[in-house]
Amino acid sequence: MKTKARYKLTVICALVMATSGLMMAQDAPKLTDPEIASVAVVANQIDIDYGKVAIKRSKNKEVTDFANRMIEDHSAVIDQAVALVTKLGVTPKDNAVSQSLMSQSKETLKKLNSVSKKDFDKTYIDNEVAYHEAVIGAVKNVLIPQAQNSELKDLLEAVLPALEAHLGHAKMAQSKISK
Amino acid sequence: MQTHKSLVSKYLFIVAVLICAFVLMMGFKSSEDTYKPTRHTVTIFKMKFNPEHLVVNKGDTVVWINKDFYQHDVTEMTSKKWTSKPFNQGESWSKVITGDIKYYCDLHKVMKGTITVAK
Ligand SMILES: [Cu+2]
Repeated sequence: MKTKARYKLTVICALVMATSGLMMAQDAPKLTDPEIASVAVVANQIDIDYGKVAIKRSKNKEVTDFANRMIEDHSAVIDQAVALVTKLGVTPKDNAVSQSLMSQSKETLKKLNSVSKKDFDKTYIDNEVAYHEAVIGAVKNVLIPQAQNSELKDLLEAVLPALEAHLGHAKMAQSKISK
Repeated sequence: MQTHKSLVSKYLFIVAVLICAFVLMMGFKSSEDTYKPTRHTVTIFKMKFNPEHLVVNKGDTVVWINKDFYQHDVTEMTSKKWTSKPFNQGESWSKVITGDIKYYCDLHKVMKGTITVAK
């Protein structure tokens, strides 16, 4: 019970941080396309990193299948993003949003690596649900509206349904695990 | 007089029988021999099967084309009786339809579709 409450608190904190990060991003000078590209690559890479921990630590096929899917799909997005920036001749540019995503993910990775085997599956899947919700919000409300280049906008719009499918899939796994 | 009349009616009767036979044969021909199975296309794009629900005739072929840069598959939903196995962007997979089908993508379990055979 105690760990559950603590976990809930952490997730809420992370969400508040993510949202405030996004609010700042909305108030701050708009993200440029190279910055949006950087956020997109970082956000996808983070979920790949979580998936790799899951494959290493989980014994549950439901969980490892999901983690493999995350690695495959988010790698495909990165490939598309890299191909696009190469074609457009832009270099992804590090920025406040990608940095904040990075530092949050370091905390989460620490937790995923240290949580007991018994609690791993639930910790991982709960985080996947929260993370996809946060990223969907960011793509929908910040990245797509701010993207200038139409091909970059198209790519972000193609990513959104995948994130939503992943969220639905994560919620299915979540309900099976908590039973 | 009498014989002439019966000859005419006999003749008319034979003509009527021949016409009937001809019409019947044509009817059978169009309903059985000339039905050509059709190919239908389901496009997989932005994590959706489109059309999601498709009505076909028995014996028709359905081709699923993956237009996403993600892998997808087409898998029977109730007991995974059959599956296409994952396929990539630009690739397709087809199946001859013999009955109603409920399917999904086993990689992205929220993606679903149906094929219904017209009665
Ligand atoms: Cu799929």
